[in-house]
Amino acid sequence: MTQHDPALLSAALAGVERALNEAIALSPTSHDELAGLAGTVLGVEVTTLDLTVYLDIISGTEARLMAHCELPTAAFVRGTVEDFASLAASQDPAAVLINSGIELEGNSASLIALQQVISRMDIDWEAPLVATLGDVMGHQIAETLRSIFRWGESARASLRRQVSEFVLEEARLTPPKAELEYFFDAVQSLSMQVDRVHNKLEKLRAKVEQTRGQS
Amino acid sequence: MTDDTTSTPHEEDNTTDFGFSRVNRGDKAGMVRGVFDSVAGRYDLMNDLMSGGIHRIWKRFTIELSAVRPGQTVLDIAGGTGDLAAKFSRLVGPEGQVILADINAAMLTVGRDRLIDKGATGNVQVVQADAQHLPFDDNSIDCITMVFGLRNVTDKAMALRSMLRVLRPGGRLLVLEFSKPTSALLGKIYDQYSFQILPAMGRLIAQDAESYRYLAESIRQHPDQETLLEMIETAGFANCRYHNMTGGVVALHQGFKA
Repeated sequence: MTQHDPALLSAALAGVERALNEAIALSPTSHDELAGLAGTVLGVEVTTLDLTVYLDIISGTEARLMAHCELPTAAFVRGTVEDFASLAASQDPAAVLINSGIELEGNSASLIALQQVISRMDIDWEAPLVATLGDVMGHQIAETLRSIFRWGESARASLRRQVSEFVLEEARLTPPKAELEYFFDAVQSLSMQVDRVHNKLEKLRAKVEQTRGQS
Repeated sequence: MTDDTTSTPHEEDNTTDFGFSRVNRGDKAGMVRGVFDSVAGRYDLMNDLMSGGIHRIWKRFTIELSAVRPGQTVLDIAGGTGDLAAKFSRLVGPEGQVILADINAAMLTVGRDRLIDKGATGNVQVVQADAQHLPFDDNSIDCITMVFGLRNVTDKAMALRSMLRVLRPGGRLLVLEFSKPTSALLGKIYDQYSFQILPAMGRLIAQDAESYRYLAESIRQHPDQETLLEMIETAGFANCRYHNMTGGVVALHQGFKA
């Protein structure tokens, strides 16, 4: 009767829900903010995947993901994977909601509030390590992981800068940004001058035709 | 979840199925009770091992489809070890009520102890009851679930009518039960698993191969998706439908009281 096997989606949602609740548990600063959204149900339809998922915020410490929901939704959003990715990464979700292809039914305030809670989440990854391995070992491993992440961030930024320099300065594959902007300004200026000349010529032609008509 | 009593009745010769065997209808209840008395202590562990944990996913979808809300009354028939009842207990909240019903006292004892251990006590009642003769008022229940129990009921039609009676108008019935795989290949693999591996696991873990052989046989004797859908409609339920899960290995049937 149904097209998709509900067990597959349920299994996936169970895994994501578990991870989400673990993340919430490790971010105590988010609990009060999430508690303010308790009882809110949000629906998300990803059109490219033909997938609908509901998020029910049960309390400040627990959320539930469902493939089927008959509770009234505070907001229901519909869009493609790309639309939702840009919304999740955005600093200004309201602008993305307005300008992207996302369709919104209901109240956008709860959706924006949730996006802001998620963006402000400060997950204490050290806590489960300390709980499992003890204070000393857990802290040491967490410090090591933090160093690796910091090195990774630094290495990524450095690589991006070096690739940019190589493309611009060494290989000259693309022009520098300033040069490109100067070129676009020049093109725009030329375009305006051509427009003015065209208008003047049109005026002159009109005058000539008027003079011929009188003589 | 667990049993009720026996399976398909044959009125003409007063016998019914017990797995692939045929026994007197009167003897059947005791035999099925014996099976579940034998497996009660390790029922959940065996379910996890036998299904690879997938039974939790099937039950999760059942709970989603129940759409149970705070304040409602839920009856979990053949609820056995109480895993669904514990979840419903949280969903209905302190104003709601969950009734864990099973015909088998051994399973109910395990279920009651587990519910207490999980702290699900204030809004849960434990009732020993036969699905064919539910001891509840008419129009008193918002949602009935029966998970892996209907195939053990002697007279399924009578049980379905009994459920319809106690449901409130607009109330929902959900029957999760093993069914017929939709693919022939999956069916063959499933048969091999059921009749070779399942009894071996039962012997190894529960020291009881026969009980698990009965479980496999009773699954084969259970009506397929369309037949059960027809039975639910015939009992008087409206807007009936079913969802196949894991290639039809199980099906979740749904019906409403008009």
